[in-house]
Amino acid sequence: MTPAERRYMSSDELRAVGSVAWRKDGVAKVTGAEQYAPDIALSRMWYARVLRSPHAHARITRIDTSVAEALGAVCLTFADIPKVKYNERIVSTPPHLYRDRYVLADKARHVGEAVAAVAAPTEALAEKALRAIKVDYEPLQTILNAEDSMRSGAEPIHASVRLGDAEIPIENNVAVTRSIQVGDIDKGFAESEFVIEREFTTHPIYHAQMETKSVVCRPEPDEAITVWATAQSIHNVRQLLGEIYSIPLHKVNVRRVALGGTFGSSIQVNSVIPICVGLALRALRPVKLVSTREEDMYDHVRYPTNIRLRLGLKRDGTLVAGHMRAIVDIGAHNIQAFPFLGVLAGFWASLYRLPHMKYEGRAVYTNRTPSCAMQGFGAPQVTFAVESLMDEIAHELGMDPIDLKLKNYVGLGGTFWGHGPTVQSIVRSDGVPELVGLGAKKIGWKERPRPGSQTGRYRRGIGMARGFHTSGVGHPKATGAEMIDYSGAFVKINEDGSVDVVQSLMDHGGGTLEAIAKIVADELGVPLEKVGLSPVDTRTTVYDVTTHATRGVYAGGAAAQKAARKAKAILLDYASRLLGVLPEALVIEPDVRLGQGVIHCPSLADRRITVGAVAKACQVNSWGTIAAVESLRQVNCPPAYVTYFVEVEVDTDTGNVRTRRAAIGSDCGTVVNPDLAAGQLTGGLSKGAGYALIEDCRWDAQTGELLSRGFWIDGKTPSVSESPLLEDVHTDFAKTYEPSGPFGAKGLGEASTNPCAGAYANALYNALGVRFYELPVTPEKILAALQRKEPAYDARDERRTAVAPAR
Amino acid sequence: MKPRVIHLTVNGEQREVSVSPNDLLLNVIREQEHLTGTKYGCGIGECGGCTVHIDGQPMLSCLVLAVAVDGRAIVTIEGLARNRQLDPVQEAFLDHSAVQCGFCTPGMIMMSRALLNENPRPTEHEVREFLRGCLCRCTGYVSIVRAVLAAAERGAGGEERS
Repeated sequence: MTPAERRYMSSDELRAVGSVAWRKDGVAKVTGAEQYAPDIALSRMWYARVLRSPHAHARITRIDTSVAEALGAVCLTFADIPKVKYNERIVSTPPHLYRDRYVLADKARHVGEAVAAVAAPTEALAEKALRAIKVDYEPLQTILNAEDSMRSGAEPIHASVRLGDAEIPIENNVAVTRSIQVGDIDKGFAESEFVIEREFTTHPIYHAQMETKSVVCRPEPDEAITVWATAQSIHNVRQLLGEIYSIPLHKVNVRRVALGGTFGSSIQVNSVIPICVGLALRALRPVKLVSTREEDMYDHVRYPTNIRLRLGLKRDGTLVAGHMRAIVDIGAHNIQAFPFLGVLAGFWASLYRLPHMKYEGRAVYTNRTPSCAMQGFGAPQVTFAVESLMDEIAHELGMDPIDLKLKNYVGLGGTFWGHGPTVQSIVRSDGVPELVGLGAKKIGWKERPRPGSQTGRYRRGIGMARGFHTSGVGHPKATGAEMIDYSGAFVKINEDGSVDVVQSLMDHGGGTLEAIAKIVADELGVPLEKVGLSPVDTRTTVYDVTTHATRGVYAGGAAAQKAARKAKAILLDYASRLLGVLPEALVIEPDVRLGQGVIHCPSLADRRITVGAVAKACQVNSWGTIAAVESLRQVNCPPAYVTYFVEVEVDTDTGNVRTRRAAIGSDCGTVVNPDLAAGQLTGGLSKGAGYALIEDCRWDAQTGELLSRGFWIDGKTPSVSESPLLEDVHTDFAKTYEPSGPFGAKGLGEASTNPCAGAYANALYNALGVRFYELPVTPEKILAALQRKEPAYDARDERRTAVAPAR
Repeated sequence: MKPRVIHLTVNGEQREVSVSPNDLLLNVIREQEHLTGTKYGCGIGECGGCTVHIDGQPMLSCLVLAVAVDGRAIVTIEGLARNRQLDPVQEAFLDHSAVQCGFCTPGMIMMSRALLNENPRPTEHEVREFLRGCLCRCTGYVSIVRAVLAAAERGAGGEERS
């Protein structure tokens, strides 16, 4: 359906999109029947355990598995694996894919790195065998921060990595750099009447998805393998396993299982997957590998950043120039440092219009847990910096921060960088003014206190931040892309009028597949309950890149819509034969009484037939099955805008911060799943508040071990105690329509957390009159800042407090 | 370690299982009873994903040795619905979209069911207090608290069917 057609439809004709129903996987999930990778159990199955390095940086000089093997275990070491250097996240195109790892480590580069693995008939025996493996390590200098790592004479973490067909040297532990320039910043800063520069530090946090990364692999009699894995893309798992183990792709079948949350933690083919496959191929029987929580915590964290941001403006608040220098600690492996450096620039350029901008990014290896994508991929980091600084600028210029932001933001008609400098499109839907107005009203923006004006023990403050995430990474260029971005779908109309959707798209839990079913239902004109989401695997589906970049509904949904539209054309063609009416004159609508779609001609009342009757006629007359398969790549990447207003209450005796109220607004275009969309926003608040205030990952400076020691509680994942009361959380959706999205929908998921930390930082400034430039803003940091500030604090002078950073 | 035979009532059925003295109830439920709705999330009592009822009390099955519950009645998430009739708490979780990825859901529902058995009309604060040991990374807890309060309002309290 085209946007023009959409305008002539009444809202009740969109019967499934926008409706609320029990999710299709809901009963399975509330009864415990849903199957996740760790729930797969097969006959003759063995259990695997992984031996992990206790050293942050060490040469492995010898591995002796003889005792473990004598116990009856199958062992896997570096000597046994194919010497294929790979990158686990095959979303970037080959010329941009930095490959630096093997299935098992050639050298230990972080504590917890997989060095060897075993499989045995029981988990207990596997653990016993694991402990019997002897590894000789030769410890090397441990480097735990980017500054030390770049210093001359620092121990090289990777001597060289693969890029394309070449082995490229790594110097000073710098994995990759990127510079991006628009206009002329010297000219821009010269024209500026107000210039400000601040340094922002964001920290690594653990994804804390409920399901630990798991995998089951079964070797098949014909030298094929079947794999069940925690993964955001089954096709990428298939392709990488085929490459590493030289198995033709038609013999690598990866089956979709439910995901117990990921938040980016499984965008890559998790390191446990090829390890488990290696063991299964040696044992020649099914092998299961479930990561322990501790192992999982040593697997990945969100990218930490150091961002120096300089902005120049006219006195009236018009932004003129910006200069950003970012240093990113990527940990022990380069998973997606190149695109990460790109999105820092792109998300920055897309927040506010900058006629002159310069960006310099450096990604640096260190000996700690590898950084990987986590909800927002660069946006939470850069949005915290930009939204904090815009708030500070507004106070400096004596403007309302909302006015400053609305004056400069990239909105309708603006150029949006969805994924760095090569992924750009024009904004065609923009709910920002509406959302800002709604949020300001709900939180009582105009009644907020003057910054730092309170003196009691409990001080309240209101903060605002806005941002977005991209909807996919589609763009208009035909070749030369940095990123792969397309989805496919197969839609089949059954002989009773029900529909099978066969699509390899993954649902992290947010309702992506629910949205797919609704889009297909409305495109075909059948009731939602007649649309089934088929269990799928890689052998029976077309490619889908991965559910990331908030592309599930926008890109995956558009692919399903395209396939449904084609199937509908076939259906109407056959219906035309049966009814004697031209296909163009026919419409399909769900019929509540019949419980299926009915095809009819509005001007000829007697020409009616059910979808099922047409499909059945096709079968009995041997005309064929009504089905269509399509691939689709979006050529846009519309911004999914989100605004945050939060009210905090700070206990100045303890430094504790309580979220009193929150008003979150989303512009996701047409809201496909209203209930689950609201759930995305409240989830974004919880994760965003955790990021802003409490969650952290730190490593012991000597040993390189996580200071949490792999204890989840010490990673400080928020519990229900940290969330606001029900009546204090407001979620709103802008009334927009994205012309390029399925039924006007664009993305939502990752956007829901991106501005959150900025809103908290601004609320804390409003409550205390102190700026915080380093995340997380822990009670300790708040108390230290208050102790520094209070003696000389003059509540009447807002400007003075704004320029005296609490550092 | 020498296996030992224990007797359990699992979701109303009499079971005789052979376990090692160090076998955790969680693993016996998942691997011997093939009831995989009870989840491993952390193995050390931090997340609540493995919550089951033992003689009506909510317990973390990752912290309970199987031999310690010889002769006791265990109810897992699979035992709440009977003859395809969902428990009102399960229905409320679906009605209020308190299910996203679903991995915390079994533990959340078992804990919520235990709360309503003990306190049929809890306040919002009581729900929060009772569920604070159950982690969820998807929802931000809002929909979950709303679902439990809604289940209570519908009169879902009182003893579960066992």
